[in-house]
Amino acid sequence: MTATTSRRQKPLRHYVGRVALHGALLSLGFIFMLPFLWSISTALKPFTELFTPNPKFLPGNVTLDNYRTVLEQSDFGRYYVNSIVVTVARTVGQVAIAAVAAFAFSNLRFPGRNVIFFVLLAGLMVPDQVLIVPRFIIMRELGWFNTYQGLIVPLIFSSFGAFMLRQYFLGISRDFQEAATIEGANPFQVFWQIYLPLARPALAAFGFLAFLASWNEFLWGLTVTNSADMRVIPVGLALLQGQYFTNNAVLLAAANLATIPLFLAFLFFQKHLIEGITLGGVK
Amino acid sequence: MTTATTPTYRRPRGRSYASTTARWGFLMVAPLVIGFTVFFLIALAASFVLSFTQWTLPATPSWIGTRNYQEIWGDAAFRTALRNTFAIAVPLIIIRLILALLLAVALNSKIRFRGFYRLIFFLPVLTMPVAIGRIWQWLFDPGFGPINAGLGRLGLPQPEWLLYPGTATVAVVIVLLWSSVGYDMIIYLSGLQGIPKDLYDAASVDGANGWRRFRDVTVPLLSPTIFFLSVIGIIGALQVFDLVYVMTRVETTNRLPTAVYYIYDTGFADRQMGYATALAWVLLAIILVFTLIQFALQRRWVNYA
Repeated sequence: MTATTSRRQKPLRHYVGRVALHGALLSLGFIFMLPFLWSISTALKPFTELFTPNPKFLPGNVTLDNYRTVLEQSDFGRYYVNSIVVTVARTVGQVAIAAVAAFAFSNLRFPGRNVIFFVLLAGLMVPDQVLIVPRFIIMRELGWFNTYQGLIVPLIFSSFGAFMLRQYFLGISRDFQEAATIEGANPFQVFWQIYLPLARPALAAFGFLAFLASWNEFLWGLTVTNSADMRVIPVGLALLQGQYFTNNAVLLAAANLATIPLFLAFLFFQKHLIEGITLGGVK
Repeated sequence: MTTATTPTYRRPRGRSYASTTARWGFLMVAPLVIGFTVFFLIALAASFVLSFTQWTLPATPSWIGTRNYQEIWGDAAFRTALRNTFAIAVPLIIIRLILALLLAVALNSKIRFRGFYRLIFFLPVLTMPVAIGRIWQWLFDPGFGPINAGLGRLGLPQPEWLLYPGTATVAVVIVLLWSSVGYDMIIYLSGLQGIPKDLYDAASVDGANGWRRFRDVTVPLLSPTIFFLSVIGIIGALQVFDLVYVMTRVETTNRLPTAVYYIYDTGFADRQMGYATALAWVLLAIILVFTLIQFALQRRWVNYA
C-alpha cells in the first residue's frame, strides 16, 4: 500500500480495482467450491459426527468407512462397472457413427443429402420425454429391457455429433482429398487416412461431450432397467436412499465416487473440451 | 451454416465415378440414418398415435380420440407441475444470464489466475445432476446441514427447505444456478473474443467510462450470444427432471413435481402410457411456443452484424 501511495492516481485506482475484483472472484469461487469441499469432508466423517446441529467443516476423526460401506455393502461396485461399460460403448458408438456420417455430409455428393441433414437437425429440437414411452416399448418388444444393449443402442445415434463434426470437416482443405482421389483412394480411405487424423481435436471434443452426457444420463437408465444388476451410477445413486437413508455420509461418498473420474478426465482434456463446447454453442 | 457445399469427387471420369461416390455417401450415412429412423422417426410417430389412446400397461391400447388432451385441460396436478416448472425456470434464467455475463466480462480481462477462476466456475457443469442433488440435499438438511447451521448462527429462521414448494423452489433455483452458470460463462467468453478491441478503444476516445462501454459496446455486440443462451436455457429449464427427482422426493411423493417429473410418474409409476405421451406433446407445444416468442422478439433487441 505504501509503495503505491507515492504514485499517480491511475495506478492506485487500477490496483484497488484489481484487489476488489480478486476479492469478489475469490469469495464467489470459494462459495462455488464449498459444496464439493463439504461433500468430500463429510464423506470422511464417522457416523457420530454427522447428526449435530452445529456441523464442523473438517472431520474430527477421519475415516474411510463410508467409502468401504458404499463399495462393500451396496451394489455400487456393480453400478460402477455398468456405467463404465455403457459409457465407453455409447461414446465409441456415437463418435464412430457420427464421424462417418459427418464425412459423407461434408464431402460426398449424393441425392437427398441436404434433406436428410436437415431432418436430422430438426430432430435435435424434440425433447426425450416425447420419445421415451415408444422407445421403452421398442425395448420390450426386442427383449432388451434390463440389458446392456437396451442401455447402449438407442443412445449411440447423435445428430448433434454429425453436425459438429461436419462443421469441422468443412474447414479442412480439399487439396488433400483431391490428391488422394487421383491416387485412386476410395472415399472411405480418404476419410480414414486423411480426415480422421486431421480431425483429432474435434473428435476428442465431441468424444468428451458424449462421455460426459452418457456418464451423467439418468432418464433413460431409469426407464430401461429395473434390476439392481443393470443399474448405472446415476440411477443407483438416486435410489440408494431407501437402503441407506440413515447415513448421509455414505450417500456423499457415493456421490464423490460418481463425480471424481469426470473431473480427472476434464483436467486431462480441458483445452479440447472448452473448444468443443464453444464449437457446438456459437454459430 | 448453409448446407450446400461444393461437390467433390467430380474428377472427369464420367458418370460412373459420381455414382460410386453417391453409393459411398449412402453407405456412410446409413448407420446414423437407420438408427435415427428407428429410435427417432418411428418413435415420434408412435408417440403421436399413442397420445390418442388409453393404455394402461399391461392391457392393450384403445383409441379414445382427443380425450387425453381434454383431460389435460382440467388436470390440476399437471397445472401445479407446470407452475412449479415456471417458478424455477423464470428466476433461474434471468439470474443465470446476468451472473454469467458478469463473470465472463471479469474473466475476459487480463487478470491473473483467470484460468483457475474459469475452472472453478465450470466444474459444477461437469457434475452428475443426481450427485449434485445428493450433495445439496445434505447441505439443505433442516436439522444437520451447514446452511441451516449458518442461518441459525445469524439468528435467521431455519426452514425445512425441501419439504414445501416455496422454499424448495428457492433451493432448486440456487442449485441449478450453481450448476449451470459456468456453461453460460464459457459461451459468453467465446462470444467476447469475437468483439474487436478497437471498438472499445474508439469508445474510450469518445469518453465512455467502463459502464458505458459495457452497456453500449459489450451488450449489443454480445446480444446474439445472449439470445442463444436464453433460448437453450429456457428449453432446458422447462425440462428439469433429475435434480427434483433426487432432491424433493420424499418417500414416493415429490414435494416439487416439475412437468417432466409428472410425465415420467404418470407413464412409469401409474403406467398410463397414452396419457403420459399426450402430456409430453403438450409440454413440447409449450416449449415450442416460448421458443417462437423469443424468436419473434429477437428483432427488437438482438444485433446481427
